[in-house]
Amino acid sequence: MKKIFLILIFSNFLLSELVLEITQGTEDPYRVALLPFKGDVDISSTLNKVIKNNLNRSGEFKIFDSETLLSIPKDETEIVFNDFKILNVDYLVMGEIISEGSSISVVYEVYDINKSSKVRTSTVYGIPNKNRQLGHYVSDGIYEEITGIRGIASTKILYVTQEKTFNLVIADADGTNEQILLKSTEPIISPAWSPDSKRVAYVSFETGMAKVFIQDIASGKREIAIENSSQISSPSWSPDGRYLSLTMYQDGNAEIYILNLKNKNLTRLTNHYSIDTESSWSPKGSKILFTSGRSGSPQLYELELRRFNSKPKRLTFDGNYNAKGAYLPNNEGIVFVHRANQNFQIAIKYFDENFLRPLTEAQMDESPSISPNGNVIVYAITDEGMGLLSGVTLSGAKFRLPAKKGAVREPSWSGFLR
Amino acid sequence: MFIIRNKLNFLIAIIFLSSCSSMNITEEKVNSGDVKTVEAGSLNNENIRYDSMAVFANATIYFEFDKSTLTSKSIQTLKSAVNALNDNSSIQITLAGHADERGTREYNLALGQRRAENVSDYLVLNGISKNRITVKSYGEERPAVTGQNEESYAKNRRVEIN
Repeated sequence: MKKIFLILIFSNFLLSELVLEITQGTEDPYRVALLPFKGDVDISSTLNKVIKNNLNRSGEFKIFDSETLLSIPKDETEIVFNDFKILNVDYLVMGEIISEGSSISVVYEVYDINKSSKVRTSTVYGIPNKNRQLGHYVSDGIYEEITGIRGIASTKILYVTQEKTFNLVIADADGTNEQILLKSTEPIISPAWSPDSKRVAYVSFETGMAKVFIQDIASGKREIAIENSSQISSPSWSPDGRYLSLTMYQDGNAEIYILNLKNKNLTRLTNHYSIDTESSWSPKGSKILFTSGRSGSPQLYELELRRFNSKPKRLTFDGNYNAKGAYLPNNEGIVFVHRANQNFQIAIKYFDENFLRPLTEAQMDESPSISPNGNVIVYAITDEGMGLLSGVTLSGAKFRLPAKKGAVREPSWSGFLR
Repeated sequence: MFIIRNKLNFLIAIIFLSSCSSMNITEEKVNSGDVKTVEAGSLNNENIRYDSMAVFANATIYFEFDKSTLTSKSIQTLKSAVNALNDNSSIQITLAGHADERGTREYNLALGQRRAENVSDYLVLNGISKNRITVKSYGEERPAVTGQNEESYAKNRRVEIN
């Protein structure tokens, strides 16, 4: 039986508008001693804080600070492995910051205490004034070394905020380092990253009706995906980045199409008098998952793309509202919005099980987006009328990225960026 | 033991050491991750001309949760809209469909569209030319009232005729 203990961490970041709050951690975490990195004291303290937060947020780690250790080695020669074994520490992380002029890099080492040996030495070259990024890269290296799974600290989250204007915002996975991609007086919904994370697609109402736009993140260059008079929404990139599936209302009803981004050819996928929308691609691009009202209530269906004349197959049967689905990156199941009684929650259904598992239990949870390593789901919640972002790991840890002002919603997780 | 003078030596030393162990050695660079902020083009909404707006046919039609069917009350409202449109044959109208905030945003966008299409179908069936009608949806993005209760939700599940 899994034990769940509670960790409560509040850390305010000076430049951010979001606060990280870990409300729940998992059983039997990896026990890691994290020593302050040698070198510039300010940078070292930033890195230490960032790395600690990232590992804690995963819910899979218990971090030991210097104060809680029996000995603090200055380098490899001074490590007394027994001092760590007594504390049941599994891993020791130490490192050094090398700054020469404006160039900065970090060399860090991971020691496996039980094996009494060094298991990793890594160098990360930084960029001036982006020390938090440096910290994210180091976190991911540590996470990867210990868990065998790629880390997501260096990934980004895209979301929509509403204050005086609607803003499309990009931030680090911990909610800091917010940058605005687009400001508009009209609503913005359904942001989606291209697989290479260099472009985003989203729905903007700036022309007076829903239209899908594609924007280059670095240059800000944007274009309308399809030039016609029809309402268009719900973009989703194919895994190879060559196609966009979307919903078009050409004949008055929501139907799913695939747009070839190179030659702009459109292929119609659905043809039903009920609503068909919220398409998303399977990890290998061979199937499309979508929401359809064809049974009389919104349910999730999948369509095989590589089989001639294939019919949509219904995947959800629990309750009368299952929508906005996405495949897990390992294709073992789907994550979606499920209505239980009067509450909307995030649920997961594994393909080898015939029931769904609720992941959240609030009243108005929506827009789930899965981290590229498949371990974490970020979603939008409503708390006392305010829109916030929250996260849940598949191992049961939960955290929140609350906004201090305005409403935050429609999160979308990037791919791996390192 | 090695005495580390600088990073390069250190790295070479590590690479040398690693050749006889199973240690992972990595080297990477932080991405710049540059972002450019842009502003959406100013709204060019030809469909709604507020000065010559179809005030005669102005009305709001309400719906049940997750439903797009017209109620008998809605039909009463639409009958007077049909009369107003027949009396003023030059006016164009826009039907904007809306949903309450429950459920997913894209499904609600589609639901708002269905509601507006159903109103459009009723008008066309009653002799109004389709060319006079523009149909669109705002889903749950433009609520008439805010509030997390059935009273507010009911006011937001609507089609606005303008």
